[in-house]
Amino acid sequence: MLQLNNISKSFGSNRVLNDISFSAESGKTLSILGRSGCGKTTLLKTVAGILEPDRGNVTLNGKDVHAMVPFKREIVYLYQETLLFPHMNVFDNIAFGLKVRKMDEDTIRRKTSRMLEELGLEELAGRMPTEISGGQKQRAALGRALVVNPDVLLLDEPFGNLDVKTRASMQQLFKQVARKFKMVSLFVTHDLKEAILMGERIALMQEGHLQMFDSRESFVQAPDTGVDDEIAFWNSLK
Amino acid sequence: MTSRFKKILSILLIGLYLFPFGYLLLLSVSRSWRFPALWPDNVTLSNWSDLLAGQGELAGSLLVSVIISISVAVFSTLFGFATSKFIAYSKYRKQLMLYSYFPFVLSPVIYAACIYYFFIILDLSGSVPGVMIAQLIIAYPYAVIIFSGFWSDRIKSMEHLVAGLGGKKWDTYVRVLFPAARDMLLICFFQTFLISWFEYGLTSLIGVGKVQTLTIKVFQFIQEANIYHAALASCLLIFPPVLFLLFNKKYIFKTKA
Repeated sequence: MLQLNNISKSFGSNRVLNDISFSAESGKTLSILGRSGCGKTTLLKTVAGILEPDRGNVTLNGKDVHAMVPFKREIVYLYQETLLFPHMNVFDNIAFGLKVRKMDEDTIRRKTSRMLEELGLEELAGRMPTEISGGQKQRAALGRALVVNPDVLLLDEPFGNLDVKTRASMQQLFKQVARKFKMVSLFVTHDLKEAILMGERIALMQEGHLQMFDSRESFVQAPDTGVDDEIAFWNSLK
Repeated sequence: MTSRFKKILSILLIGLYLFPFGYLLLLSVSRSWRFPALWPDNVTLSNWSDLLAGQGELAGSLLVSVIISISVAVFSTLFGFATSKFIAYSKYRKQLMLYSYFPFVLSPVIYAACIYYFFIILDLSGSVPGVMIAQLIIAYPYAVIIFSGFWSDRIKSMEHLVAGLGGKKWDTYVRVLFPAARDMLLICFFQTFLISWFEYGLTSLIGVGKVQTLTIKVFQFIQEANIYHAALASCLLIFPPVLFLLFNKKYIFKTKA
């Protein structure tokens, strides 16, 4: 269980996170919808322990995240850019987390091969990051994160750079694997449709404030989520 | 331009480029070569055999040069890498980068002359460690400048990612940062080695004639009008950079292709 308690963060006089509290359960995805610059990335970086909050704390299974050494936090941050290690092929990129955990060769090979299979990347195992497409890179990056079975997966608009079709297939793939791996997922996006599609729970972030919605229905019915505007737009085209 | 003309021009240019090397090699195996003779009167390998047998001053100079240059290159590359990281992520980045240009704004020799007093009181003047430190005055900030382009938000994110995946600091450096910066590290090592290898001003100032590197020797032989030994020393001076150039060609340009 991930718990955020009264998190506040400012950069100079600019208050980016304002008294944010929520909890997220294992095996479920929380979508956080917000415009660019509303503090979504700052929130994820604070959860990851990359940024220290000015006030409040983040706990994971009862332990303060900022009190833990970074490599023991079990929180993986997936960026919009895939950040595949340029000097490693797809197999080695996915196996990276297992290698640094000093697992034996057989386990590494078995787990990595299973992940490659799961993501449909078996054929590309020997390819370098420069030799695969954007969607394939994103799948490899997802595999690299999932193979270590982290407690928390933070996704910062991970499919933002992909074309519509690849994005849709990645969303489907993520839904499948998220169900399988029992971890807390925070999925940040500025895309309304993606937020609704990806999250079992949805939150709206505006000017450093986070508004949680108990259900998808309550989110759709809320006036400032932009759903009404979206529906009105599509209706106007009929 | 006809292909024949191009071929002749290429041969001419290659010949012009290689001529000084051939000439130096020939001079190094000569004992007597007086104008207007087109070929030396006495061609002998004794200069080279003395060197290979470890006799004469040049073998010692070669060893001193190799020790100084490799030490300077290794130190500059490793500490330059670490320092550039510290500077890149510092909030005083611009100021600190400005300081790394300081030894180049002021001529390194003048800069060394200004701090020569400290070399004397620390008993470093005229010693190999003293010359190494003096050469680091230019090689180390040079390395910092080379690596300053490596660090970025992308690399920082990669470091965070490694930690998220369970990697320690050691893993970050050994498995990700060093391999990702491999070409830059090789180039920096090569460049700082060359800076040290051909350094004359600082070495003669701080070495006060007691530290006889090959470059110092070449100048010394030239001043003594001993052209045969100067040629031999020059051949030795050229040899390691050529080796490094071939190494760079093999490992850097090959991976780029």
